[in-house]
Amino acid sequence: MLSIENLKAKIDEKEILKGLNLNIKPGEVHAIMGPNGSGKSTLSNILSGKKGYEVNGNIKFEGENLLELETEERAHKGIFLAFQYPLEIPGVNTNTFLKTSINAIKKARGEKELDAIEFLKLIKQKSSELKFDQAILNRQLNVGFSGGEKKKNEILQMSILDPKLSILDETDSGLDIDALRIVSEGVNSLRNKNNSFLIITHYQRLLDYIKPDFVHLLKNGQIIKSGNFELAKELEKVGYENFN
Amino acid sequence: MENQIKSNFEKVISKLSFTNAQKEIKEKNIDNFLKKGFPTKRLEDWKFSDLKQIISNNFEDLNFLNENNTELKKDEIIEDLEANKLIFVNGVLFNVDFKYENLEKIEIEKNADLNEEVNQNALLNLNSAFVSNYIKVTIKTGYQFKKPLVMYNYLTEELNSSGINTRLDLDLENNVELDIVNVSNKSSNKNFLNFRQKINIGQNSILKNYSLDTNQTESIKYTHKEINLSKNSHLEYFILSTGSKFLKHDINCSLNSEYGSISLNGIINLNNDQHHEIKTVINHNEENCKSYQLIKSVLNDDSKGVYQGKIFVDPKAQKTDGYQLSRALLLNESVEFNAKPELEIYADDVKCSHGSTSGNIDENSIFYLMSRGLSYSDSKKLLTNGFLNEVIEKITNENIKNFVKKTTGIEV
Repeated sequence: MLSIENLKAKIDEKEILKGLNLNIKPGEVHAIMGPNGSGKSTLSNILSGKKGYEVNGNIKFEGENLLELETEERAHKGIFLAFQYPLEIPGVNTNTFLKTSINAIKKARGEKELDAIEFLKLIKQKSSELKFDQAILNRQLNVGFSGGEKKKNEILQMSILDPKLSILDETDSGLDIDALRIVSEGVNSLRNKNNSFLIITHYQRLLDYIKPDFVHLLKNGQIIKSGNFELAKELEKVGYENFN
Repeated sequence: MENQIKSNFEKVISKLSFTNAQKEIKEKNIDNFLKKGFPTKRLEDWKFSDLKQIISNNFEDLNFLNENNTELKKDEIIEDLEANKLIFVNGVLFNVDFKYENLEKIEIEKNADLNEEVNQNALLNLNSAFVSNYIKVTIKTGYQFKKPLVMYNYLTEELNSSGINTRLDLDLENNVELDIVNVSNKSSNKNFLNFRQKINIGQNSILKNYSLDTNQTESIKYTHKEINLSKNSHLEYFILSTGSKFLKHDINCSLNSEYGSISLNGIINLNNDQHHEIKTVINHNEENCKSYQLIKSVLNDDSKGVYQGKIFVDPKAQKTDGYQLSRALLLNESVEFNAKPELEIYADDVKCSHGSTSGNIDENSIFYLMSRGLSYSDSKKLLTNGFLNEVIEKITNENIKNFVKKTTGIEV
């Protein structure tokens, strides 16, 4: 599904990714762990098309050159980024935003857009699956949401848009244990043989709930070690410092 | 230009039948205007909008002789809103329609006399000199309108390089409720419009005035409003400023007795080389009055926006609340926005504040929306609509709020 070859990225002349390689197959859940400043967020930004990076290397998504696609085209093809810090958008109703988003994607895929009734039905179903309070959807997008509400809103968007590849950028940071469980259950309910996940985190905690198939250690702009869930446990035990 | 205005004036005076007293007042006014001319940026009030230059850039000459052989195509009247109508064609009252109301409660005087007071404002002098039917509308005590009143200013296709001066005074007696919508039609010709209104809001009365400049026009427009509030009265004023080539809203409100309140909110949303200004003065002359102002501007291309807002608090006006906030979104490097917030406070027990911000659209927010499948231009539109929506939400008449949302396409 996704193959990254020798990915290098610079921002303001500073090299952040220094030759990263990663392969994700359909249905797999990969976790990337690493210390602060190792390039984790840069990787998720580049995958979803954020401007401002000087990028070298190859990224193929379902056989297509991902780096040639605009941000919104990547969303249309099925890439979703759950933001570490979801943006507050004043004056924009959350429901209106969700409907605009899903219909933009459906339109780009040549599918029939949802009318108001179909949309409300979908929203109702998804928010009850995720135990998400629907009242919040009548508020302005992320404005005045608590940290947990913002993250849950990201997961709700993910579940509505039903992406092929979901990238979760430190979704666990700032979540209490209940919210962490709800978010993890949300992710687990979306897991199937076609959907893949890339989960970026500092801690093993989230991975206890979402058992990843693979765990990678990102340090100094490169993946220096890959393994299974046992690697996460080991990292938690000995710390990033002692891994070389 | 001045010579032409003078000879136009002489023709108007000789053609129309004014009393000697009225002629004298008009002559004083034209003399005052000719002495001062169109305002320039050397005047503090016109610092950011040099009208003299704007006039000379847009007109070779201006014709103030109004031929009243005008007609209105019925289908062009806005029909989306169930409302009473006062229709003006090329500045002349054409149709009065209060079909939803009790006519005994509404008095209309169609050719009122000017009083002798000669204003310092040159444009008001010009207005007094040329206005040919000065209209006074009085709403009797205790009357609450069932439907809004649309004041529709229609310019005919033939009208070009003309100067139009209108004057309308509105007197709400006590316990009156009225909602007004000001609108005008689309027009591709250049004309200079000088609209003056004087409004009194009686005790316990509520006026909601929605001034909608939504239709694209090449007009150069100045509107002057003087609004006086009595005890326990309320004014809700809303400006949507987006259609005219040049438009200056000059709004002067006075809270002349206790417990009056004003909520004044405005949107400036411009493209190309449009240039709009909102200038407000709120005079707190007595105790326990409140005023709130929120102005938001979105500027694109080479447009220019101005907000000048002054809150004056008299020594008598203790326990005043006076707030104003201006926020501008600059979508392009060649736009210009000027804000001049002013507080002049002579009482000590008051709560007043002002603030002004201007900035670019947030690229991180754009990235967030694009990552959800929206194109760059749709993301930008959603963000600017969201920005402006806060002001539209201040409209308390739901029908008019929906009408504004529909005409602006701001539904977020």
